[in-house]
Amino acid sequence: MSTIKISNLRKTYGPVAAVDGLSLDIPSATVFGLLGPNGAGKTTTFKCMLGLARPTSGEILYGGKPLVPETFEHIAYVPERNVLYDWMTVAEHIEMTRRAYSRFDEKRALELLSQFNIDTKRRARALSKGMRTAVMVALAFSRNAEILILDEPTSGLDPVNQRHVLSLIINEAAKGNSVIFSSHQIGQVERAAERIAVMDRGRIVLDGLVDDLKADRKIVEGIYPDVSFTLDGIAGDPRVLRADRTERIVRLLVSGGADDIAAALARTGAAGVRAVDLNLEDIFLYAVSPAVATADVVAKESSS
Amino acid sequence: MPAVLTVDPRSGVPIYLQIVEQVKRSVALGVLGAGEQLPTVKQLALDLTVNPNTVARAYRDLERDSVIETSPGRGSFVRAQAAGESPAVAAEIAADALDVAMREARAVGVSREALRELFDAALARWFSLEIEGA
Repeated sequence: MSTIKISNLRKTYGPVAAVDGLSLDIPSATVFGLLGPNGAGKTTTFKCMLGLARPTSGEILYGGKPLVPETFEHIAYVPERNVLYDWMTVAEHIEMTRRAYSRFDEKRALELLSQFNIDTKRRARALSKGMRTAVMVALAFSRNAEILILDEPTSGLDPVNQRHVLSLIINEAAKGNSVIFSSHQIGQVERAAERIAVMDRGRIVLDGLVDDLKADRKIVEGIYPDVSFTLDGIAGDPRVLRADRTERIVRLLVSGGADDIAAALARTGAAGVRAVDLNLEDIFLYAVSPAVATADVVAKESSS
Repeated sequence: MPAVLTVDPRSGVPIYLQIVEQVKRSVALGVLGAGEQLPTVKQLALDLTVNPNTVARAYRDLERDSVIETSPGRGSFVRAQAAGESPAVAAEIAADALDVAMREARAVGVSREALRELFDAALARWFSLEIEGA
C-alpha cells in the first residue's frame, strides 16, 4: 500500500506544463522531501497524487494499484493553502474530520492541538497563519494514515512549533508510515528526510538519499598563480558536473572521485587545491541553477 | 545513555557518519562503557530530531565495525571488546585529525621540512608539561 510509483506524470494548464514528465519511486516507511523553487510543480504533483488534479498523462500507483476512493482513508494531506472554513470553530473542524474519516483519532487531535496551544473554541478566521497550519497538521496527524503528504507543513510556525512538526514526522517514520513533504526550509528537510528529490520546471533534476548525496557531491577548488592556465580537459570529465572559472580560481562541482579530480587539478599547476563538503542547501542550489559555466570553460579549453 | 550525541544536520558530513564517529569517540573516551545500552533507533531519532532510518544506518555501521551488538527485542549494547580497544580507537581518531591537517598543509604548499618543524613545535606546546610530569 505505501510504496508510491509515479511514472511519466504530466499536468498541463493550457500551454503551460506544471509537471513535465516526472517519474519517482517513493519506498514505504520513509520520509521523502520534495524540494524546488517556487513554481517548480511541487503542489501540482501533490494534487495529482491525491486525485485533486487530473493528470494530463502518466500514472501514479500506490502499492501497485491506482488511486481509488478507499485509498483516501490511508492518505492524509496538509495543503499549502488554508482550507479551513473561516466561520467554523476548530472543534467543528475536528467534528467534520471525524465524520469524514473512520480512522480519525479525536483524542489525539485534541492532544496535538493543546500541544500547539490552540483553543478549539476559536473560529478559524481568528487564527493566525501559523495557527491555521498547526490545526491542519494536528488534523492530518490524527488520521492514522499510512501516508502523509505535507505541503509546507511548517509555514508560519515559530521555531518551537516547527521542531514539534519535525518530531511528529519522525515519529510517523518510526512507526513505519511514509511522509512526503515539501519545505523551503532546507534545514528541516536535511534533518527529517532520508531521501529527497529536487524539482525544477516540472521535472526531477536530482534525487537520492540525503546522506549519500552529501558523501558524493563536493566542490573541488584550485587557485592558479596567474590567469593563463588550462584545465587539461578536466572540465570534460563525466564526474565534473559543473565548472566555474573566475580569474585565477576554478571551482568544480564533482559527483564522486573528489580526490582524483583534486589530484588532476594539482597536476595542472593549481595551488591550494581542496575539496569542500556541501550541505543540502548547496546541493539544492547547484541542482536548480543553470550550468552554463561548464560549456563556457570547455569552450575556453578548446580555443586555448 | 548520557546525552553525548549531537549532530549538525547542516554540515556536509552525512548525519549517519556523524553518529558513527561520535559513538566511537564516546567509547574511546570511556563515556560509553562495555555493555552499556544505546537508545533505541526511534528514541535517538526523536532526541536528535533526525530520520530514524538514518540512525538505523549508523547502528548497522557500528555493528559492522564491532563497536556495538544488537540483540532483537533487547536493544543495542557497547561490545566489551570495543571498550577494551579504546587506545586503538583513540589512535584512529588522532590519525584522522592528522590526515586532515596534512592534507590542508599540502594544499597550501607547506613543505615537508616546514611541516615537520610545525609538528615538533605543536608537540612541544601540547605535550611538554605531561612529559615533564612523567
